Formats: sequence, structure tokens, C-alpha cells
Amino acid sequence: MASSTFLFCDSIYDERMRWFRDIILASNGTGTSAEPVDIRIFLTGDALFSLVDARTRPAWNAVSAIPSVQVIADADELQLQGLYDPVVSGCSHVLISGADHGGLFWERLVAALKDEWTGTKSAAFLLCNSPYMSRVPVYMLRFLSGVRSAGLSPELYTYLDGVHTLHDGQRPSEFENIGRGVAALADSAALAGRDAWFAACSRCATARGYYQMNPGTGFCEPASCIQGITIRPLKEILARFSGDHPIISHGGGMTVHGKGAGARIPHLAVFITYPPYCTEWAFGGLSLAIAAAMGGIRTTVVFIEDGVYALHGTHQVPGNDKIFNIQEMIAVTTDVEGLSYAVHVPSLAERGIGISGDLSLVREVTNDELARIMFRPGLEGTTPAMRIIFF
Amino acid sequence: MDNHEPKDFTELTCTNLMIKLKILLSKLPTGNQVAFFATREQVDNTCAPFSGQGYQVSWKQEAENRYLVRIGK
Repeated sequence: MASSTFLFCDSIYDERMRWFRDIILASNGTGTSAEPVDIRIFLTGDALFSLVDARTRPAWNAVSAIPSVQVIADADELQLQGLYDPVVSGCSHVLISGADHGGLFWERLVAALKDEWTGTKSAAFLLCNSPYMSRVPVYMLRFLSGVRSAGLSPELYTYLDGVHTLHDGQRPSEFENIGRGVAALADSAALAGRDAWFAACSRCATARGYYQMNPGTGFCEPASCIQGITIRPLKEILARFSGDHPIISHGGGMTVHGKGAGARIPHLAVFITYPPYCTEWAFGGLSLAIAAAMGGIRTTVVFIEDGVYALHGTHQVPGNDKIFNIQEMIAVTTDVEGLSYAVHVPSLAERGIGISGDLSLVREVTNDELARIMFRPGLEGTTPAMRIIFF
Repeated sequence: MDNHEPKDFTELTCTNLMIKLKILLSKLPTGNQVAFFATREQVDNTCAPFSGQGYQVSWKQEAENRYLVRIGK
């Protein structure tokens, strides 16, 4: 039987809730699967507001009422955000997990992943958010602490603004010290005989000043970095994605068929949800996806929600601007083996836009087809696991 | 592209350099070439493989881990 585990830390707005509900329903009886997919959805951070928001609450109630679906809410974060009582009284099918509620949320998540990825020796967090501006690094520490407590080796891959975790000398006056937390985690894992594998993407670290050229040698060296994290090329980090272990992030999930990835390399689905240029999310997601495919990982890029703007119109980079033209990136990589592009038709329809004629190789997908991409039902042992990451 | 100063691509990842080169070469008229600076790793992993795709690839060491690469169509 296929099983999926999702974690959402960021806000879940109405649009995402609608398509997510539809693909969950599609995976549980409307033709994409011979048998229901066992789905666990873990909610923390801003995602918890969607449980009480009138625009999204009905969809959660519909989803959580499905017998093969479990929605698990982080009790500590519910209490922090004043949502505990409304969720207890208004979301009867939602499981609340915390110290006083059947085990800590993060330990429950680790246990679920350990159960799905039988025999795994490690579990990883892909961190794309910076400390202090975002609370996601706090969740990363809680997750990786749970990983260590479960007897697994913690792995951390910092990417985009997540590489700010590298910065030496962090001294937040009001927040949990993320740099110190990472160093302590690496030390305690080593003491327990389980080496931590903590890495930062060299491109992202170079851009943010943590990896500087030594003019004498012509090679880059770490600058102002904590000891626990090693700066590595993205392809080395992506090589870990070929392994038989779970990787979670601020938003996304995994589907496994049977138990774990087995002998086959897990596939990757990258969901581009942001517009193309004003943040690094779209470029970062696309760049990671292309590098993964070139590293031998079968990868599907799905443009969805505001991510569909990457495909609309004809983009032209002004001569004095230094930025990748996202459409040109897509056009010249359609021949990369193992890489495919898709666009979510309901997202286009909702915005009343179409895609550029030059991007005809981008396949249009409905919610049913999206469900097949995410859950890929197949015979046990023959279908690779699928990793899903939202950018 | 012959008359332009070579661009410095040494800070691009191998994947992003490959994408950059495919974009530049797709717009390059036959008989012209692109010139840029790259690291040894980029030369080996990204630039050299273009010779197997019908392009003329050459490079010259300019400094420690800095190579002037020319790819012609």
C-alpha cells in the first residue's frame, strides 16, 4: 500500500487548500489508485491558521474525515497562536499532538517517517528559510532533535536563505539561537556515534558572503561560518536525495510504496508556487530541479498557484540586469534526460492567463493528473518513492 | 560575441553554467564564439562536454583556478 506524509509550516490559503483537497480525494477512490493512499498531514506554524479560517476549514474537515487520512496538528504551536480551543472544538477529526497529547508532534512525525522508510539510518531537513525572520529553522531543530532521539543520523541541507544558519556569532536576544542549536545537535549526534551530515549549498553561501574567494589560491573558503555545517556544491547535496531516507522541508511531503525507497532512486517533484523574479523561490526551485535531473534523479517541475506566471507572456531581461530568464532556462532544459515540466491548469484558469507559445513542451495537468504525479500508484516494490518540495 | 570582454562565470554552479551556455549558444550565429572565465571544475564538468555536441571548445589558464574558455559554433 502507498503511504504519504506531508508537513506544512507556511500559510495554506484557499487556493492551495482546494487543489490539495481535490488530489487527496482523487487518491482515495476516484480512479488514480487501486486502493486508497494512507496519508498523514502534519501541520505546524502558520499552516495551523487554515484549520480555523472559514475559507479553508471545510476542506480540512472533509479531508480529515477520510478514514485513510490523518491530519495532525502541533499542540505547542496551537497554544502559542491561541488556536488550541477552536481546533479542539471545531475540528473533531484533527489529531492534536503535543507533550500532553499522545507524544510530541515532532517525535510523532519522525516515528511516521521511520515507519514508512523501513530500515532508514537517517532523516533530513531541507532548510530554505533564514533564522529569526522565519520560525522554520526552529522547527528544523525540533525535527532533527527528534531524529537523533529516534536513533537516526540527522542531516541538514541548507539552501537559499537557509544558508544564513551558517553565520558565526549569532546572538538573538529574544529567539532560540539557531547556530548554537545546530552546533549542539552535531556534537550530540557525534557523541551518540551517529555522524551528522550538515551542508550548505555553495552557490547560495557564495551569494550571501559565507564562501569567499582566496585570491592567492583561486579557490573559495568559508568566511564567518560556524563549524557544524560544511559548504558543498549543490550536486553533492542532491546526491543525498538518491538515498533511501526521508527528507522534509517547510512545505512538501513524500510518498512511498511498500516500505521505503528500496533499490530505486526516489523521484522528485518540485512545485514552483511563487512568481518568477521578485524572490529567489522560483529560480531556486528550478535550479535545484534541473541539477537533480542532471544528477540522475527523475524530476518533475510543476508550476502551480502564482508559479504559473513564470510561463505567461514573453520574458525579456533588460541588458543592464543580471538575472536568469526563467523561460529561457526552461526552454533550453527540456532535453535534459529525466526532467519534465508541467503546469497546473486550474491555477492558469483561476488567473485567466495562458502559457507562452514558446513553452509548448510544458505539459498541462489537472488535479487528477497532479494526484498521479504525487502519489504514483503502482505495484508494491516497483514504483519509486516520490519526494515533493514546495518552492 | 568576439568583440565583447569575456564574462566571469566562475561563481556559477556547473548546472547554472550549463544553462547559461545553452542559452548563449542557442543565440550565437554560426562562425562566432563565446568567451568567458571559468574554474577548472567548470571546464572539466561543463565546458569540455560541449565538444561532444558539435562545438569547438578551447581553454587557456590565466591564473590559479581561472581559465579563459572559448566555445565556437
